[in-house]
Amino acid sequence: MQHPHHGKNHWGHGNSRLGRKCIRSIWSVLPHRLDGAVAILLCELLVAGPPLLARGPERLIESRQPDLSPLRQDLKKSYLELFSLSPKLHFTDAEIEDARKQLKDAEQQCVDRVKEQEKDYDSQLQLLQDEVKSTKDLPEKQRHDLHCRIQNLRALKAQMRVLQHHAIPIAYHNEEAKLDLIQKWPPELQQIQQQIADGSYRSRRWGDVQDIGFRQIAAGQKDDVKSGEDAIQQMKQAGLMPKELDNPAITSYVSSVAWKVADHSDLRVPLKVTILDSKEVNAFALPGGFLFVQRGLLEAADDESELAGVLAHEMAHVVARHGHKLMRKETIASIFYQGAELAAILLTGGAASIGTYYALRYGFYGLGLALNLKLLGVSREYELEADQLGLQYAWNSGYDPSGFIRFFDKMASREGYVEGISWFYDHPPFYERMVDAEREIDFLPKKDSLTVQTSEFENMKKALTEVTASKEEEDKDRPSLLAPEQGCASPPVSKEEAGRPFDAICSPSANPAGANGPTTVTSGTTEKGGGKQ
Amino acid sequence: MRELNRGRMFEGNRYRLNRPIVGVLMLGALSLAGAATTTDKPSDEVSLYVTVEEDGGLVQGLSDRNFRLYEDGEPRLFQLKQPEQTATVALLVENSQNSWNLFYNDIQYAVQGFLDAAPEGYWYALATYSHGLEVNVDFTKLKGKIRTAFADLAPPTWNEVDTYDAIYDMLDKMERLPGRRVLIVVGSGYDTFSAHTFSDIQKKVEEANVAVFSVGLGSLLRGIYEPYLGDMERTDLLQVEAFLRMLADESGGEAWFPNIESAFPDVMKGIVQTLQNQYMLVYTPNVPHDEKLHKIRVEAFQVVNDHRRDFKVRVRKGWRL
Repeated sequence: MQHPHHGKNHWGHGNSRLGRKCIRSIWSVLPHRLDGAVAILLCELLVAGPPLLARGPERLIESRQPDLSPLRQDLKKSYLELFSLSPKLHFTDAEIEDARKQLKDAEQQCVDRVKEQEKDYDSQLQLLQDEVKSTKDLPEKQRHDLHCRIQNLRALKAQMRVLQHHAIPIAYHNEEAKLDLIQKWPPELQQIQQQIADGSYRSRRWGDVQDIGFRQIAAGQKDDVKSGEDAIQQMKQAGLMPKELDNPAITSYVSSVAWKVADHSDLRVPLKVTILDSKEVNAFALPGGFLFVQRGLLEAADDESELAGVLAHEMAHVVARHGHKLMRKETIASIFYQGAELAAILLTGGAASIGTYYALRYGFYGLGLALNLKLLGVSREYELEADQLGLQYAWNSGYDPSGFIRFFDKMASREGYVEGISWFYDHPPFYERMVDAEREIDFLPKKDSLTVQTSEFENMKKALTEVTASKEEEDKDRPSLLAPEQGCASPPVSKEEAGRPFDAICSPSANPAGANGPTTVTSGTTEKGGGKQ
Repeated sequence: MRELNRGRMFEGNRYRLNRPIVGVLMLGALSLAGAATTTDKPSDEVSLYVTVEEDGGLVQGLSDRNFRLYEDGEPRLFQLKQPEQTATVALLVENSQNSWNLFYNDIQYAVQGFLDAAPEGYWYALATYSHGLEVNVDFTKLKGKIRTAFADLAPPTWNEVDTYDAIYDMLDKMERLPGRRVLIVVGSGYDTFSAHTFSDIQKKVEEANVAVFSVGLGSLLRGIYEPYLGDMERTDLLQVEAFLRMLADESGGEAWFPNIESAFPDVMKGIVQTLQNQYMLVYTPNVPHDEKLHKIRVEAFQVVNDHRRDFKVRVRKGWRL
């Protein structure tokens, strides 16, 4: 495959047919839950030239390392690391701009190649489907084999779509935000230090943190209770509300964390906490103090400060009455929804959903719906405000406020995509958000000790492990239209842990297929060394 | 046929459960209750789902003594069991440019109506088709996911409606699933570019133990525009109805052809009620594996004062092994 720019890719190399074959092989071993970091690194690999690819997949990582600039290496670091590291980095604006342009080109190139791969899978599928159709008297075993191959190809094809529409764009937005951070944070930090030195930071909006609990962020929180109740009822009727998690210990623990934060916040309505039995990494708050936490969020959090940070963010939406403010924008709501779903779909190209409806109608304000609200141009302001207030509440409750950034960072770096409406997908890690959060943390008065982890959290995680295992067991019985053929070997993909570096994924020792390179699915069995494509 | 009696069909259907047949409460059937598994090998035990009706109402409370089962005319032993608590229900919705232009309201009413009526606890999936089949939501117990995905459907880019291919693929996928399987086709029945033919689909329906309920789009054509249809259009309409009816008749489902769009929610409610009130006869077929259709006949009746009263029975037409 030739790059559109005279056969050169953005790193200045050409590509080769051999490289393409190699890439296909690598694709075929990628897991269904490909994470964002993998997507970026995969694309780097895709645009690497023949000198790399021609050596064979087992040498890819080793060979590619020297080609990456120090700047690109720094982009692999977490946001928190970059906050402390960036003042010591010395990249020129031209270098950063160049990297930004390269990144953009790489994203497009990567998406194009994934599309091409999807087409390839599609044509293979057509051939196999024709084969199934034309051979009426095929022995049962061969037919089963064909079904397995079709099934696996469908899965791979679906994976390509996820890469195109979720993992790659998100991964690149993430890196762009980090480029911004490297470029803009050092002068920003100087300004922050200056504000701290001259005391002007105290005059920022909601800078009166010593008065938390006694100040008024938005009057009339109690007036929202009715609309929150209505929203819950509507969501239940619409079948949008997952079942509650039936585990008193977990519910009690999460509630205790939430109530602790609520006690140290500006919340003036009783907080009702519900844990939903859903694997989505999500939490949301409804006006009037109804906080919903999904099981997936508990699984994704690694310490209590992360959990508290997210819960505090949600409570801040309730405190600031963002739902109520949204509902006042009735004209916008009517544009989106009064003309039935069709209008919304046409106006937004499908981005608006029933979620938008609930957000507008009831102020359904959750981590998972901000992207839709962005369409209205009102979301970012509210998100930033909730970030700021949430950090203050977590800090005031004695939690390390950086937990929120860590969680954010982890989701951005690890979760290439998650099913359905997701925290990560709808919350691109904008530079502005991260910087604002870090600035607020710098402005908060220092405390001697801040809680990061507790034994109660660890106990909850243990209990959660059992719950998750049992849910996964239940999921095994779940019927599927996507994999109806029983008894097929899964594509030989390694079970990737979130955040695992690409180097580890591509190294021969990490490949379940063994040391002879990537494995390609052909049927119920596996084929080594690139296999049939 | 009831499907053709459009004008009053919906009204009758709406109230069919409000008029249960009183006095047919043979609780003995409950003693036989237990879970049964549908298999794909009819030489093993199979579950046969039966709808019993009288005067447009569903008949409840029958026991095993009220049924007779015949295979190729030969009586068969069976057990009457309570149907599984859950069912695997896939909604297959036509989604082409033409269907958006002509049947948009029909589709909206049908899908939303179904989701409103669908009980909790079943597995639901959503698939759409035009030029090719797309599984929009794989099986989930969260109906809201279907609702959201449906609301998020982008305007179709294809004019083609490969109805036969889509139904074939869905049956192929579903026949391998365990348990009670139901396919609800919300489509016009028109086909423009399928590789499969009418007879391919007929054969597939006869092979797969999947109940198909067909909901015919095109209320405008059957209602307001009906007097203005030319002979050709009228013939086309009859042909597509025949296809959708075949799906239902062969599989033990039901076909509906509303002539006003607001009737769709009632139709979908009727399907749900039917699913919730079917009988399950479990038995082991005894027919040769000769790829021919071996007919099934189920009789449902009640004896009152030595007089046998027969009910209308809806069951799959037979097995093709």
